[in-house]
Amino acid sequence: MAITVTIRSLMDGKPDPERKPLDPILKTENLWKLYHAGKVEVPALRGVNFDVLPGESVAVMGPSGCGKSSLLYVIGGLARASRGKVLVDGNDLTAMGDAERTKLRRSKIGFVFQRFNLLPTLTARGNIAIAQYIHGDGYDPHRFDVVTKMLGLEGRLHHRPSEMSGGEQQRVAIARAIINEPKILLADEPTGNLDTKNSDIVLEMLRRLNKDLGQTIVMITHNPEATTYFDRVVHMRDGIIVDGVPAD
Amino acid sequence: MMWQLVLRNLFHRPMRTLIGVMAVAVEVALVILIVGLTSGILQETAKRIEGIGADLMVQSPTAPMLITFSGSPMPIKIADKLAELKYVRAVAPALLQFNSTGGVETVWGIDAKSFREVSSGFVFLQGHDLQDPDDILVDDWQAKAKHVKVGDTYNLFNHKWNVAGVVEHGKGARLFVPIATLQDLVGAHDKASLFLVKCSHPDHTEDVIAEIKDLLPNYPVRPLKEFMTLMTSTNIPGLETFINAMIALAVSIGLLVIFLTMYTTVLERTRDIGVLKSLGASKVLIVRALLTETTLLCVLGIAAGVGLSYLVRAGFLALFPTLSILITPEWVLRAGLIALVGAVLGASYPAWLASRKDPVEALSYD
Ligand SMILES: Nc1ncnc2c1ncn2[C@@H]1O[C@H](COP(=O)(O)OP(=O)(O)OP(=O)(O)O)[C@@H](O)[C@H]1O
Ligand SMILES: [Mg+2]
Repeated sequence: MAITVTIRSLMDGKPDPERKPLDPILKTENLWKLYHAGKVEVPALRGVNFDVLPGESVAVMGPSGCGKSSLLYVIGGLARASRGKVLVDGNDLTAMGDAERTKLRRSKIGFVFQRFNLLPTLTARGNIAIAQYIHGDGYDPHRFDVVTKMLGLEGRLHHRPSEMSGGEQQRVAIARAIINEPKILLADEPTGNLDTKNSDIVLEMLRRLNKDLGQTIVMITHNPEATTYFDRVVHMRDGIIVDGVPAD
Repeated sequence: MMWQLVLRNLFHRPMRTLIGVMAVAVEVALVILIVGLTSGILQETAKRIEGIGADLMVQSPTAPMLITFSGSPMPIKIADKLAELKYVRAVAPALLQFNSTGGVETVWGIDAKSFREVSSGFVFLQGHDLQDPDDILVDDWQAKAKHVKVGDTYNLFNHKWNVAGVVEHGKGARLFVPIATLQDLVGAHDKASLFLVKCSHPDHTEDVIAEIKDLLPNYPVRPLKEFMTLMTSTNIPGLETFINAMIALAVSIGLLVIFLTMYTTVLERTRDIGVLKSLGASKVLIVRALLTETTLLCVLGIAAGVGLSYLVRAGFLALFPTLSILITPEWVLRAGLIALVGAVLGASYPAWLASRKDPVEALSYD
């Protein structure tokens, strides 16, 4: 693949390998998330303590309904925490209002979803460019070429989502998520709608993003094989993290 | 980028966009045509009054401004009194009768000789002036609309008239009959609705007005030249309110359709809105995107509406040559602005809803 060639050019400006990776880029303290279904309170997170270091790639696993997506939404600032703390790059999300969380999401978080979630009326190029537009001024025009080349999208940029395969759509979604150089990439079962071949391509790209660009990644997955691409696997059950051992 | 998103979204559902555009077009056309028709008729009437060629018009104290609908006659003897005034050269009484069967027309009962004296006289395209009691003069537009020519019979007020002449339009009315016959027909013996006055010199107009005010206090006296500026909807009781009510109706149609269009748009794009929010789009950005889309749709509608107005006018004028519909740039602009404000109002609630959507719920929407 052409990826390795382009990666070299990306290496400058990357995190200093000598830097002591002590401060977590993401930290949750006794994090609770309660949903209200009528008068019933449904606890989705029940005191999660979870740290992610800069440059780390973490896979989150666990049975359906254990609170994985809820965790991702709360640490990505899409949903409000009910109790506890969420620190992203030193900023406490739980102390923030809606507008502030939106701003933080804009500059520090990139999301990838199971259902690609591309805007259907825009081309691949438009879908990536809209993220740059929302981010506002100060984006690197050079990065567009680098990112699309790296994800092998050069030939597909003028296609609409309906004209692309699932794997291609998910690569566009990844490009969109990282175009503004977020501190953390959050992926919720990104291979859940893909066949094995496309899953492998996407996972390999995420791995390279992490290894070559130092992109911090937290990914939810049901696929045990997927975990081999990641530094660490975290298991969740009933709204809490039950372990956090290194993958290898 | 914003424009690209807006344009693509706008043309994503062509049918829905088309319906929105059409609603705005109808709204704009209604406003332009309603205003155009009323001001057209008023201006036409004013022009015809001015075109009579007399200097002044004396009306009864209770007469409304729009003499087309005038009744309340005065004793015809007033004419003799007016004629005695110092700077008055001639006075012509006229009895106005409103006929609404088979169209709307005002018939003027005149005395051929005195009318000739106060006005510069008719321009005859065919035939001759009123001579017999049953003679009628028809102006060229009316003749064309009713397909009549000299020698034909013209039915009016259950009476058969003989078309004596076809005259050039622009002399107060489209139909003229001998005043004595009309007085008999409508039971208004020795009555007149108005008096036309010709001064011995145009410079004496002001003096004559003063004289008449002295002689007949409370009787409105107006120079004919003033009618052009007087004949506006604001000077006709109720007309302004009627026009405003019609405009409000037209605008509410546009507003409701835009509301519905944008409401369904926002529902359909719930997930897209969630995506934009996950990318960090602010509420302002989402509102702006939707209002930009609405504005664009509305501008297309306005353009179509202006075109539609001219089309409808051309159609009407072909069918009813005596009709006058005045389309002014000022009102085209106003109708456009009114439609734009209505559209933005109609879209603001859906846009506000969109901006408030919970991103997690929006992202899981099907
Ligand atoms: N909006 C909501 N209202 C009420 N309960 C909810 C809501 N969203 C999630 N839940 C509940 O919270 C719990 C955790 O849900 P969550 O989606 O985080 O699980 P998950 O681990 O991502 O599951 P899956 O693997 O199926 O995606 C579940 O019991 C779920 O039913
Ligand atoms: Mg989930």
